[in-house]
Amino acid sequence: MEFLRPSTWDEALAAKAEHPDAVPIAGGTDVMVELNFDRRRPPALLDLTRVASLADWAADGDRLRIGAGVTYRRIIDELGGRLPGLAMAARTVGSPQIRNRGTVGGNLGSASPAGDAHPPLLATGAEVEIGSVRGVRTVAVADFFQGPKRSVLAPDELIAAFLVPAATGPQQFAKVGTRNAMVIAVCSFALALDPQRRTIGTGIGSAGPTPLRATEAEALAAELPWEGKTLPDTIVQRFGELVGAAARPIDDVRGSAAYRRHALAVLGGRTLRWAWEEHRCA
Amino acid sequence: MRVNLTVNGEARQADDVWPGESLLYVLRERLGLPGAKNACEQGECGSCTVYLDGTPVCACLVAAGQAEHRDVRTVEGLPGPDGLDPVQQAFLSAGAVQCGFCTPGLVVAVHDLLARNPTPSDPDIREALAGNLCRCTGYENIVAAVKLAAGA
Amino acid sequence: MTSTQRQPTQSQPAQGQPTQSRVQDAAQRSVGTASPRIEAWDKVTGRAPYAVDHPVPGAAYAWVVQSTVARGVVVDVDTSRALAEDGVLGVLWHGNAQRLESVGDPELMVLQSARIAYRGQVVAVVVATSPEAARAGADLVRVREDGMTSDTVLRIDHPALYQPVQVNAGYPARSAIGDVDAGLAAAAVRVDATYRTPAEHHCAMEPHATTAFWERGCLVVFDGTQASTAVSETLAGLFELPPQSVRVINEHVGGGFGSKGGPKPNVVLAAMAARLVGRPVKLALTRQQLFAVAGYRTPTIQRVRLGAATNGRLLAIGHDAVSQTSQLSEFVEQSAVLSRHMYAAPNRLTTHRVVALDVPTPVWMRAPGECPGSFALESAIDELASAGNWDPVRLRIDNEPAVHPEEQIPFSSRHLVQCLQEGAERFGWTDASGRVVRDPRPAVRRDGEWLVGTGVAASTYPSLTWPSTALARATADQRFDVEVNAADIGTGARTVLRQIAADALDVPIAYVEITVGDSAIGPATVAGGSMGTASWGWAVTKACRLLRERIERDHGGRVPTGGVAVRADTTLEIRDRPEFSRHAYGAQFCQARVSTMTGEVRVDRLLGVFAAGRIVNPTTARSQFIGGMTMGLSGALLERSVLDSRTGDFVTGDLAAYHVAVSADVPRIEVAWLDEQDPHLNPMGVKGIGEIGIVGTAAAVANAVHHATGIRVRDLPIGLAQMIGKLH
Repeated sequence: MEFLRPSTWDEALAAKAEHPDAVPIAGGTDVMVELNFDRRRPPALLDLTRVASLADWAADGDRLRIGAGVTYRRIIDELGGRLPGLAMAARTVGSPQIRNRGTVGGNLGSASPAGDAHPPLLATGAEVEIGSVRGVRTVAVADFFQGPKRSVLAPDELIAAFLVPAATGPQQFAKVGTRNAMVIAVCSFALALDPQRRTIGTGIGSAGPTPLRATEAEALAAELPWEGKTLPDTIVQRFGELVGAAARPIDDVRGSAAYRRHALAVLGGRTLRWAWEEHRCA
Repeated sequence: MRVNLTVNGEARQADDVWPGESLLYVLRERLGLPGAKNACEQGECGSCTVYLDGTPVCACLVAAGQAEHRDVRTVEGLPGPDGLDPVQQAFLSAGAVQCGFCTPGLVVAVHDLLARNPTPSDPDIREALAGNLCRCTGYENIVAAVKLAAGA
Repeated sequence: MTSTQRQPTQSQPAQGQPTQSRVQDAAQRSVGTASPRIEAWDKVTGRAPYAVDHPVPGAAYAWVVQSTVARGVVVDVDTSRALAEDGVLGVLWHGNAQRLESVGDPELMVLQSARIAYRGQVVAVVVATSPEAARAGADLVRVREDGMTSDTVLRIDHPALYQPVQVNAGYPARSAIGDVDAGLAAAAVRVDATYRTPAEHHCAMEPHATTAFWERGCLVVFDGTQASTAVSETLAGLFELPPQSVRVINEHVGGGFGSKGGPKPNVVLAAMAARLVGRPVKLALTRQQLFAVAGYRTPTIQRVRLGAATNGRLLAIGHDAVSQTSQLSEFVEQSAVLSRHMYAAPNRLTTHRVVALDVPTPVWMRAPGECPGSFALESAIDELASAGNWDPVRLRIDNEPAVHPEEQIPFSSRHLVQCLQEGAERFGWTDASGRVVRDPRPAVRRDGEWLVGTGVAASTYPSLTWPSTALARATADQRFDVEVNAADIGTGARTVLRQIAADALDVPIAYVEITVGDSAIGPATVAGGSMGTASWGWAVTKACRLLRERIERDHGGRVPTGGVAVRADTTLEIRDRPEFSRHAYGAQFCQARVSTMTGEVRVDRLLGVFAAGRIVNPTTARSQFIGGMTMGLSGALLERSVLDSRTGDFVTGDLAAYHVAVSADVPRIEVAWLDEQDPHLNPMGVKGIGEIGIVGTAAAVANAVHHATGIRVRDLPIGLAQMIGKLH
């Protein structure tokens, strides 16, 4: 096995082009488990922790461009105000040790349907910036996932960053697990309100082959009393039901499909209520 | 491959390292530092927690090559010249040690928690230590040890 | 009358010479004080060596290859590619492994035949110069297996269920007194319910591991075991060696909970591998490999029938337990045994049936029998209380037996009633006058989206004692060395044995050195069955008292230059003990809440009150009680090993999928104990405390969930999905 250690982004892209079967590794929280468990023995590891630009983030117009190597810990510490939904999700990832190492870029790269970062990225309409020696392309998060642990990444491509609008309204994230911490989601849900544009963004995790949007629930935005009025219970309930209906869950060890639909309906209604309270008080 | 790193303040070198092996393996098998323990190899139990450039990480999830030229501090490196670190002393005083297999990782995690938050609340402590399993299971006394160390 | 939660205190530093007076002030005695854990310094600094932490020059590393079918035969093993791998020193499989002499446990006859009895059974071992090379070699071993249809699912109507001759710990499989059916027919209030507990894995933090080497025909192993005497005797038998040619060292053990209660395949394989390559071998099983190889708690299905008269007196107790074992060896969880002595009733029946499936062999796990059994019995008592409109604490007190209700022998001591009363008052179940103030109605206490309730369950565990030997030696400079082959698996055995020795020698602990964890010391029993302190402590006490006597009698009270040594063996004393029913008892109280929105269950509070004889060390004892209760809470809410019926594989086979409680799951846990004096136990008056804490916890939680929601959970763990759809 080779250990490739690029120190710049260009070197990293060149290395990936030369070794398309090299496995990129940043925080190692997924890749090392596979190596430790002998589930995979790639011909090369491509260490991205020395590519300084991957650990940068910056404002880019009304959006933020966040390097793929920014850790969950830094998302919480440095971006909690601008990306509250993502920061809430980041807080539920693993343990402090995992959050110190794990990255959103790695979460995207692994493309697990249970990835905690995915629902808030979906809810905010984030994009993934993908690089290769052939150039740069940008893919909406909604189009990035192709199935369980499959994404649109070509063998010579690496995730450079993700682009996400700074919050323009309340954001929420909720997750159900059997434990109080250190838990893979039974299901999760993210919501982003945009009072200016009068939209709701949604993201469902761990209840389908890929992270999902609840588009019919999002359409309820047109019926919300945006002028600071109380949210009718009927809308909250319908919103929850539509979130539950948008899921495509399966039965597995962590929970049944029926439970996931039920819990998502609860999470949908609950996050909408919380976000609305914040909107009303803003 | 060869890996050069600083461990507990000393420049160390490991030869014939397989690129897929973990920092935990390098510490335990190549550098003779068995303090960090191997109990799950997937970042679930925290028994292998060490400082990497001042940040606590699961050593089992750091590829050996990623530690090149980095600074590592393990439980063996916590005591100062005057004896035990206050966190270690608190674990003794509070009776927070049982089988001891989770202890080295917990000591490092608590050391970091108190460096960042000198007066943690009960929920702060339980959340900060959520990645360190103790099966004996002495969470009550471990939380007491953190409070004792915080007050020290 | 109660002593609880004392703050840990530093031991008094030794001052001057040890006292020469033979009658010591009780206040100066070591037993009963919070003596600090001896080896804690080594553990907090990372210097305590566990089984594969010992530096062994020139060690090779072994990696196991496991079967991928649940039933079948190994047709062929092709080792050629593995042997060609750089660093690989050898490959063992049943075609080339050395023959072992049977010692009665087929699980230990590793690599002796082509038969595959469960998925994950070891079918080959690769030895190499590094763990990486060994693992790479293991990947290259080609094992051709012929798989057959397998049967891996425990069912209450499984046609192959049978009643064994006896169950674990030597109890008869069946007991019957009176006529249960007639008792039930005469009862005014009845319960007939079936409870299920899942397979569970111990998940001790230290995975099973061994370092083994051969030295001039002798075998030396460092093994993470609860029983180095048993391991050394077993290895001597398997390898046909004189007993004194095998030495097993277990200085530090990272937890066991029963999974390390006897020799496991890893120690045998490491010894075989070391002989094969002629150098020391380290074999550390991975967490995932343990799920098949190191044992687990069997799932159980238990039917409990209770019948009571209108006054709440039980007329009948029936408890029928079903569990599984493997095709290799018979292990029968004694789940119904506790129902033989918990409550009085004229008509009683307990039965055990077991079925041999194509699954890994189950084994002891913390409170085998009592743990799953108490979930069934103590839930059923709660159901009876609900059905009869009786207070569950009162109902238990009203059915307190005067003597063992089946054997008609006296209890050596029994303070279950006092534990219930003390706990009820502390918990706020009763007021200071003993009047019940808890509202019995289920599903009426709301706190926002949460429903809140309280529950109680009783705990028990046998107070066992097993023969052991110990050595006590006095030196001319007034020091004492005491050796006993105890295993300190985290319990604090080393620490409490030094306290016991100090008192028996009549000196402060500072004058006593204690050595444990080495089979060379001499035979001693396992760290299991909650009998360590009683068994090892008795041998230590005897050796120390004899030593004292000998110094007085033979040397006029002065230790000669060459020192004096005494070895003691407690076999005869234990054999000749009068007949008593010896058990520890306790009561556990729980407050739980259930979200009406998501079905999430959270425990707010746990209180345990125990009567477990004399408490040697309040700090280590408190850790044992709380540790048991925490594991019980974990079992109530989280733990479940799921076996894929198609493959015979545990799909929850790592710590990401098998959830144990983390600190954030655990509420404040309170523990108290009664000052129980029992002259019929052992010279120290101690009962075991390592397991009783886990007994009854799950029932207390389930009973609290019922009180909160009105939903009766009879199937552990109590999950989200069991709540949804039934909550209002």
